[in-house]
Amino acid sequence: MPETGDILMFLLTAAWLLPLAGFVVEIYWLCFSHRLNKGAAYCAVACIGLGFLCSFSALMYWGFDTKWAALSEPAHHGHDTAHDAGRTEGGHEHDAHAANTEHADHAEHPDALTKKYYTGTYYELARFGALRVSLDWYIDSLTLVMFTMVTFIATCIHIFAIGYMHDELTEEYEDHEVHLHNGGHFSRPGRFHRFFAYLSLFSFSMLGIVLSGNIFQVFIFWELVGLSSYLLIGFYIERKSASTAANKAFIMNRVGDFGFLIGMMILWTSFGTFQFGDRTDGAHTEAGLFTMVRGQDGKLDVSEDGKQVYLQDAHGHRAEKNGQPLTISYMLLVAAGLGVFAGSIGKSAQFPLQTWLPDAMEGPTPVSALVHSATMVAAGVYLAARFYPVFTPEVLLGIAYIGCITLFIAATIALVVTDIKRVLAYSTISQLGYMMLAIGVAGWGAALFHLVTHAFFKSLMFLCSGSVIAGCHHVQDMSRMGGLRHKMKITAYTMLVGVIAIAGLAIPGTSIGLSGFYSKDAIVASALAYSELNPGHILLFIAPLVTAGITSFYMFRLWFLTFAGAPRDAHVYDHCHENPSIMTTPLLVLAVLAAGCAWGGEGGPLYRLIADSETVPAVARVASVGAAKVILPSHQGHESDVHHVHSTAGMLALISAIIGMSLAYLIYVKKTIDANQIRKQFSGVYDFLVDKWRFDSLYEAMFVAPVHIISAWCVSFDKGVLDPILHSAASLTVLTSKWDRAFDETFVDGLVNLVGTVTYNVGNSLKVIQTGRLRQYVMWIAVGVIVLFGALVTTIPK
Amino acid sequence: MGEVGLSAYLMVGAVLFVCGVVCMATKRNGIGVLMGVELVLNGANVNFVAFSRYTSLGLDGQTTALFVIVLAAAEAAVALAIALNFYNNHLTIDVDRGNELQG
Amino acid sequence: MIEQLLFYVFAILTCGGAIAVVATQNVVRMAFWLVVSLGSVAALFFLLHADFLGAAQLLIYVGGTVVLLVFGVMLTASGPYTTIKTSPAEGIIGAAVGVMLLMVLVSSIGNVDWIAISGRLPSSPESPSAADATRKAHAEESLVNSGSTKALSEFNANQQQGRTVRQLGLSFLGLRPDRNLKEGGANGLAPGYFLPFEIVSVHLLVVLIGAAYLARAKRRAVSEDRVSLD
Repeated sequence: MPETGDILMFLLTAAWLLPLAGFVVEIYWLCFSHRLNKGAAYCAVACIGLGFLCSFSALMYWGFDTKWAALSEPAHHGHDTAHDAGRTEGGHEHDAHAANTEHADHAEHPDALTKKYYTGTYYELARFGALRVSLDWYIDSLTLVMFTMVTFIATCIHIFAIGYMHDELTEEYEDHEVHLHNGGHFSRPGRFHRFFAYLSLFSFSMLGIVLSGNIFQVFIFWELVGLSSYLLIGFYIERKSASTAANKAFIMNRVGDFGFLIGMMILWTSFGTFQFGDRTDGAHTEAGLFTMVRGQDGKLDVSEDGKQVYLQDAHGHRAEKNGQPLTISYMLLVAAGLGVFAGSIGKSAQFPLQTWLPDAMEGPTPVSALVHSATMVAAGVYLAARFYPVFTPEVLLGIAYIGCITLFIAATIALVVTDIKRVLAYSTISQLGYMMLAIGVAGWGAALFHLVTHAFFKSLMFLCSGSVIAGCHHVQDMSRMGGLRHKMKITAYTMLVGVIAIAGLAIPGTSIGLSGFYSKDAIVASALAYSELNPGHILLFIAPLVTAGITSFYMFRLWFLTFAGAPRDAHVYDHCHENPSIMTTPLLVLAVLAAGCAWGGEGGPLYRLIADSETVPAVARVASVGAAKVILPSHQGHESDVHHVHSTAGMLALISAIIGMSLAYLIYVKKTIDANQIRKQFSGVYDFLVDKWRFDSLYEAMFVAPVHIISAWCVSFDKGVLDPILHSAASLTVLTSKWDRAFDETFVDGLVNLVGTVTYNVGNSLKVIQTGRLRQYVMWIAVGVIVLFGALVTTIPK
Repeated sequence: MGEVGLSAYLMVGAVLFVCGVVCMATKRNGIGVLMGVELVLNGANVNFVAFSRYTSLGLDGQTTALFVIVLAAAEAAVALAIALNFYNNHLTIDVDRGNELQG
Repeated sequence: MIEQLLFYVFAILTCGGAIAVVATQNVVRMAFWLVVSLGSVAALFFLLHADFLGAAQLLIYVGGTVVLLVFGVMLTASGPYTTIKTSPAEGIIGAAVGVMLLMVLVSSIGNVDWIAISGRLPSSPESPSAADATRKAHAEESLVNSGSTKALSEFNANQQQGRTVRQLGLSFLGLRPDRNLKEGGANGLAPGYFLPFEIVSVHLLVVLIGAAYLARAKRRAVSEDRVSLD
């Protein structure tokens, strides 16, 4: 019987590598089929669908193997130890830690001692001293949930894309967005297969991030995700806006990745390992990053002066090397955390680097749904969550504020945007800000809970918007829509489900709502608990609360503008139609999941599954000892800080959401308040928001313009100094070569030719002697003898 | 008439040799050229045998002469074969016609 | 006296035959004069006490080579009376060159001291100028030295007059009865002609095969041409 970890590894590896195989097949599709064949799409769907089946069966297997222990009530101070021990019996690292459970210092937290993950190595790429660079896998319940979620949503979106990308199935695709000089449109062969190849590549990269067992491997797939994103945003590469957006996304991500690289270097130099989990190598157990920082009890072992952090070995002791305890400077640990988080900022489009995501909507809508709402941008949140043990409270505070700023900025911009996809894009940024905020306020489970629910309802809404766009023949401006619910019933009502979910609406007085209600509730509760414990940071509660209302407002605004009311553009309305079932079926499936996936809230299965992976259980309050004096709230069990404020927070968020919805209803349906009048009254604010808080202009002035100036200077230097030097060198060379050639042609060649000519002439003249007449030769012999004799006689003295 | 000495025989050899050379140089008939060759060889042979008789060369001279006779016979056979081929190719035995080696 | 007479007769025959060969234009007559000349050379060989060589000359040259040449004449004759004439100018030039060459040779024969030159040969016990005297002195000397040398000297003295068949045969087998080889420091066998004899034998065989190959008949094409010409 293979070990549980190995079975999970095999299943998830299959799910991970299937899209890669699909990518290879699809990218060479034209080698063995033609452009009009839909097989590439079916191949992609089959790969990702099989991946989903593998992931789901892995999740099921894990559940049954652990007797669904994760779904039961969270462990209260060791009551569930027996369960946990049984669950990890097959785990690689179990034996080493089982021996340590008796350790007196840690007896209070026995459940923290049992490992809840499986890890191992596929292949070791290289070894630099103590550092191993390898391909590892790391599986815990979070990995399983992420795999299932990503593969499921990807499958839905792949199927949807078959219908959405249908017009690419042609030899002659005319791109109406690209205007040529002659007034016509650019046309090119369709790229149906290429689109699906990119989607498969993206799926492979995303799953690679989730499955990675070390930070270096995460970085590899991080970059691959960035690459796929670049390819997909720039899918309509002939459009200027698309290629610019692709570049923008890539460069913005580079900025974040730079921080990521710095963080990785710090981790390497300080810890000497990239591994997440502990690695058992025979009898010896090598501690991973998380164990080294947090030890066995989840606490930072900070020295008394607060400047050093003692690293822990795999057995719950301070790690030692040559008798000296291994330490890392506290500030260095903060810097490492901030560096890794910088990567997350780039990928998840957080506050300073958020401008690329709205532009990324230039890609086809399924891409927006899959890459830029459900999965790739979530990778940043996922990374931050994975690295939660390494983050010090100072870093967490930074994360919280970054998330707080982002969610507010994005939500306000979304108020005024009229492009249906951009509203969703800003809402995505805003929701990602929620997740970051949750991580920052120690609401680890809440953040990932929201990540999963958001993935479902946001992909649903993006697909709905895609359906609208496809139905309206690529009209994206909401001001030209209206009343579409009569024509696109399925799209309209599935969209409504998504809107209600993201707005966090529920039946007042009960706690029955759609998925967004529960997850946002959890985040707001975490934030409230945090701000109660740290009154100085009350903003971290107020901003999400207000933004919950704003979110509700702009989402209902979107729905009302698009589907309700009277048609504003008769042409669009007349020509729009509901899409075929291949596009609407995924909408229905996703709508069901968006509504129900968070069933039960924080007592429900999804939250329990995620929270099971929590690497640093926050069962009690943790007071920070570093520079930032913050207290992290406890949020497990009925007596925790978070549970305490849960109902209050839920009520406040719900009220906020209902206010937002009502406002939207009044403005856009009843029209009791005139939107234009408000716009005029607050024209300054409105312009500011339309300009996206002027971030683009700011970056233009701060970075782009200086770069242009420096580039212009470089160009003039090149042209004025370097080019003349090069040109003169070149002409000098030419001159020398010409002289050399003349010398060669006259002197050297002349010499050689002279020798040749002389030889030829001598031979030619001697030819006359060779008469070929035998008798003459004999005569000459005789004459020769006589002459020789005569010469002999005359020259030799007697 | 004095005693016949070495010089007398050498004179005979010289006459034979010169006759052979002149024969080779003047005869256009290939067979005539061959005859000239035979005369030259015989002139040499007379010299060899004369030296054998009058100097300390002894039997060495006679042996060499014997080899010359034998080789001359062989040479005559081969030369005749060449002459026949020449005749087959040119339908004449005139050596002046065989000037293919002209430069 | 008779020897001198015979020499002059045969010397004249030899030279006359050779000149006649040069002078004659008809090939068959040239062959006849050649026979005369070569036969006289054979007689001169006898006069020089080289009896075996003279016989060989008669057998091989007069009996073999000349007959071969006559066959050649027969096979290459274009017509019954065709003679290929040499231009008179060529004849004169040839005669002039021949005379000059003869003068060169005669002058060198007369001017060179042949006896002095032959004295430089290895192990030359005899002085050609006084052949008998030295031969006697040599015999006495060798008598004193050893019995074998004495026997050799006697052998030389006795066999000097003409009978050379046995001596040639021995020399071909590597023995030299006419030489005192010990004096030269050699081992007594070195200057034999055994190996050259074998080489010449093989050479003759090769020549025989080669001649047969060269002269082999390719008659068909030629004869057809001739028929067509006729």
